[in-house]
Amino acid sequence: MIETDMSLEAALNAVLLADADALDSKDMQRWLDNYADEENASYFCRSAENSEHGLALGLMYDDCRARLEDRVTFVNDIWVGTFQDYRTRHFVQLTSYHRADTATLEMRSNFSVFMTPKDSGITQVLAAGQYLDSVRQQKNGGLKLLSRRAELDTSVLPRYLVYPI
Amino acid sequence: MTEMKLSWPKNYNEVPKEAFVREDIYAEEVKRIFHGTEWHPVAHESELPNAGDFKTYRLSGVPLLIGRDVEGVVRVFYNACSHRGNQLETAVMGNKTEFECPYHRWLFDSKGDLVGCPNPREFLPGFNKADYPLAQPRFDIFFGLVFVTLSSETEPLLAYLGDSQNTLRELLAGDGRLKLLGYQKVRYDTNWKSYTDNDGYHAPLLHQAFKMLNWQGGNGRQFTATKRGHICFESALSVATGPTVLKDKSLIEFKGQDPAVGSRIVSLFPTFVSTKHLDVINLRFATPIDAETVEVHYAYFAHQDDDEDMVRHRLRQSSNLLGPCGLISMEDASIFHRIHIGNHTPGSAIFQKGVHDPLKLESEFLQNDESGNLPRWEYYRSVMGFERATA
Ligand code: FES
Ligand SMILES: [Fe+2]
Repeated sequence: MIETDMSLEAALNAVLLADADALDSKDMQRWLDNYADEENASYFCRSAENSEHGLALGLMYDDCRARLEDRVTFVNDIWVGTFQDYRTRHFVQLTSYHRADTATLEMRSNFSVFMTPKDSGITQVLAAGQYLDSVRQQKNGGLKLLSRRAELDTSVLPRYLVYPI
Repeated sequence: MTEMKLSWPKNYNEVPKEAFVREDIYAEEVKRIFHGTEWHPVAHESELPNAGDFKTYRLSGVPLLIGRDVEGVVRVFYNACSHRGNQLETAVMGNKTEFECPYHRWLFDSKGDLVGCPNPREFLPGFNKADYPLAQPRFDIFFGLVFVTLSSETEPLLAYLGDSQNTLRELLAGDGRLKLLGYQKVRYDTNWKSYTDNDGYHAPLLHQAFKMLNWQGGNGRQFTATKRGHICFESALSVATGPTVLKDKSLIEFKGQDPAVGSRIVSLFPTFVSTKHLDVINLRFATPIDAETVEVHYAYFAHQDDDEDMVRHRLRQSSNLLGPCGLISMEDASIFHRIHIGNHTPGSAIFQKGVHDPLKLESEFLQNDESGNLPRWEYYRSVMGFERATA
């Protein structure tokens, strides 16, 4: 069990970093494993511009566990060898959190993602924005993402997306 | 107009790669095509459902303000104050019944009339507000799709669309009564012609997904309309039948009517691509930024008569299927970039599939033929004044 605010904050940061590390390693299975094993586990990626105007459309709209699993299939199997690959580096910073109920926490964090296409080798910013996360406390005390909304300040992407943000 | 030297091959199926990358050619395209006698889709009325709704858009650099006035009429203005030309509205979209220019506080109503300006007694003698409405480009509307032309000589819109009207109307759900779901926007590192040459046109071999989803090749018709070579596709919808690798099959489910022609694409010269595939209705507003960059706004729609379940289905399908991150289109986006890199080499792009005789242009094609792009290239060549080699 998490005893103090300090250890809770450290545990939330560990969730953020686990996601960033999985994505930057392009390890989609590890990305999926950082989500709670619940049917309504979800990941949304959409521009803040859409959200602010009440437009629900996203760049990625994975509103159930099955879609998260399909996202792994897209990257690992379906798209292999068809795109210009790129490295990413995610920088995340927890900005606030609060407990929603005994098993759930809500947290906000800022992110920026650099990308370096393998062919050009030139690094640029892919996107910046906020993560709005619900985090589930597991029976063993560990934390997993229940839902993540990546809200992009970047309304015009500099290229197509292969990996989640 | 400036004379440009570019030797265009004799064969209709060859396009010189130089045409995609030369800066001088791009500058001339802006004059002859984007500011010339073409109609450009810039919005669909359903993006502005309520009185006072507006959207701003740059058409090859020209700032536009598209708004629905207080009486519900959609109008297009240049997004520049009629005083000194300051950009009037900075928001991408919103709702306002008046637009105030902050520079010298001129105030315009939703019909574009100048309704207020401080201290007019200090202005030119005889100054009259009525002489200073917001300027407007020519515009017209087809089933809600708002077109702008920057030339007074462009033929009327219906003549411009010609035989593409039917497919376009059906793609706009038959009645144009759409409901906006949202946008995906992206800048591609590619020339606008590489974008339009490779979006819409279908390369089944590129898409691993088709095989993995057990998607059969559909029977389809492709034809071109008017001298501009607008391209229309109408295909029977082939829905995946056997087992697929997807756990959530709703992504490729078809809940709509009319599977006999379930898939439609209309690609209008110069840059517009629109598609209706499964239950996705997608209008792609594309405009060049420079010779190396094109910006595409993918706008997605439901129909106004959809029930809640259908809207939700369209939303889930639209987000994940056809855009710059979509299951069956992310690879297309990568091709735009790679074609543009490849175009910085000598020689011509040579079209093969569907070409029967390189010295003849056709107007009916099979669904996956490359040759459907050739009438458009011939029109481009003639507008740009490039001479075709005779031998
Ligand atoms: S430029 Fe707009 S009020 Fe002067
Ligand atoms: Fe495609």
